[in-house]
Amino acid sequence: MNIAITGEGIICAIGADKASVLDSLRRKQTGIDTMRYLPSEHKELPVGEVKMSNDEMKSLLGFDASQEVSRTSLMGMLAVRQALEDSGYLSAENGNLSPLTTHHSPLKIILISGTTVSGMDVTERHFTELRTSDVNLWCLDYHNCGDNTRQIAEYFGCFSEYTTVSTACSSAANALILGAEMLKAGEADVVVAGGTEALSVFHLNGFNSLMILDKEHCRPFDETRAGLNLGEGAAYVVLESEEHARQRQASVHAYLTGYGNACDAFHQTASSENGEGAFLAIQEALTMAGLKPSDIDYVNAHGTGTPNNDLSESVALCRVFGEQMPPVSSTKGFTGHTTSASGSIEAVICLLAMHHGFLPANLGWHQPMAGGIIPTLGEDNHVLRHVVCNSFGFGGNDSSLLFERNVESGKWKENTSATDILPHDRPLTSHPSPLTSICELARVEITPESDLSEIRDFVKPLEARRMGKLMKASLLSSLKALRQAGIDCPDAIITGTSLGCWENTEALLTQIEQEGEVMLSPTNFMQSTHNTIGSNIAIRTHCHGYNITYTQGDDSLAWALRDARRQLASGRCKTVLVGCHDETTPLYRSLLDRLGITNLPSIHSISIVLTAV
Amino acid sequence: MEELILELKQQIIEALNLEEMTPDEIDTDAQLFGNDGLGLDSIDALELIVLMEKRYGIKLANPADGKAIFQSVRTIAEYVNENRKK
Repeated sequence: MNIAITGEGIICAIGADKASVLDSLRRKQTGIDTMRYLPSEHKELPVGEVKMSNDEMKSLLGFDASQEVSRTSLMGMLAVRQALEDSGYLSAENGNLSPLTTHHSPLKIILISGTTVSGMDVTERHFTELRTSDVNLWCLDYHNCGDNTRQIAEYFGCFSEYTTVSTACSSAANALILGAEMLKAGEADVVVAGGTEALSVFHLNGFNSLMILDKEHCRPFDETRAGLNLGEGAAYVVLESEEHARQRQASVHAYLTGYGNACDAFHQTASSENGEGAFLAIQEALTMAGLKPSDIDYVNAHGTGTPNNDLSESVALCRVFGEQMPPVSSTKGFTGHTTSASGSIEAVICLLAMHHGFLPANLGWHQPMAGGIIPTLGEDNHVLRHVVCNSFGFGGNDSSLLFERNVESGKWKENTSATDILPHDRPLTSHPSPLTSICELARVEITPESDLSEIRDFVKPLEARRMGKLMKASLLSSLKALRQAGIDCPDAIITGTSLGCWENTEALLTQIEQEGEVMLSPTNFMQSTHNTIGSNIAIRTHCHGYNITYTQGDDSLAWALRDARRQLASGRCKTVLVGCHDETTPLYRSLLDRLGITNLPSIHSISIVLTAV
Repeated sequence: MEELILELKQQIIEALNLEEMTPDEIDTDAQLFGNDGLGLDSIDALELIVLMEKRYGIKLANPADGKAIFQSVRTIAEYVNENRKK
């Protein structure tokens, strides 16, 4: 199945829609500036903010100014709306989405969103008062990543399902990969996939504790690079089968012809010296697209501007492309590092570059770095047919997307509106997964009564030094399940979690509350990222295979199992480790108690090993 | 100096959560980082930077500066002795 892209929406530091982003890219105008909207003390740190207040966004979306909505949700809604309009699924005139139907049944239209920060901006505004006042307890429900996606989906009311992917800075790229997989498996007719992430005091200080924020404008791939600038934004694309797009006479902007998801399995925050995860992800994308390295016309690098990423990514690029290095640039000098949204923001930048025939500039670059690639400083009139877009996350969750320009469409035409979808005779979901029998090889469950000291059987105390109770429980249940199944290294690790290591998140929120924006504990920040659970297991098992984390509240395990079935049915994986892991703290339980949610365990971890037979 | 060395070992055990280790088990001159010594990594180095700031008022602006200072407990002790603000 050819995966067609028929619409895009974007909001970031260099523009609030495709036209303004394109204009800034061509004028080489950065959006990184002095902090204006984020209420942080660290005014010395330049940031790539969306140049709009929450109230301005609310007004554009028809919310009352008094209604509290997370900035992450607001940006997500704005970008999803643009993507739906662009694809013709939402008519710009009336702003309404009528229930979409085909000749046979309602369209299965799914929202897949990548986010990690989610409602943190709201949580940190109210954290102090939560202990004593019930007024804003609602924000506990609002905090988790899955709820952010729910809000966006419900705003439009047209989505039959929605889910959330949290693999840190590769979240949005993985959302696109998941979307393509669901289309191919016949689980969706249309997918809106991307990511959204607002700046928060929490993660600005978290990145600061890792000492990877540059006080100057970032300089990816430059010898003098000294870190990244954080940014924010959202971007989504509309994916559907080429057949579906043709049937409704939609304009196909490009195709997602290849993608790869691999795990570096090296370290929670650092990339390996040989860039193994990145190398595998790019290779996988090329193989799927049936292309040679020399076919690639441009690479949009992850290129954060940290000494470690840019060196490791350069090594990976050299391993893939050798002497035939295509033009490469990081566009983070325009947008800042938009973390969970960067995969889709940079995907849309690639689509704009392909359509308008130019190479985006690597702003800030002056001096070649030892062992580094030489990035392009931008070039007009450059035909781009095949483009690679890299997104790498903490834990070594590395993903690459490969796009092909639709050479037939000289010009993107306006897509027809939703009401013009033509009826057709064949059901759209004519690509069922092959019938695969799935067998459960092992299952291990860990509850508060379990003995976590058993972890000693698997890892040395020194290796467990940074693991809180959830990291220990998830690793223990996983390693025990794998041992029961007689497997050292699974082909894929698929994780579900509602809140991730909440103990670490709460510790950081408490530290900011009590000590202010000081040097926080880097360990707590690192562990607060949801995908540390899955990547910790990958590091222990040396698993470089598919690695993804679902954060869809109570449905996280169900989504993880669905993905496992897809992986096994596709034949790509013989064994998959699926897990779901969550924890609570005394404070969190006391807050939920006041909401009438009682008897939550302090820990619950379940790991299942599945195989295809 | 010996007093500071013992204090540092206790601080390191606490800051890095080195469960089950006692100050006696950390050799004052052993390499803290890399495979030959204790096996600490970049995140531990950042935790040590936080420790330096909180406990001794020493600000290290560049994580690369830590490399020479954090070689062993003795090199840390010498640096703290000369640069401590509290």
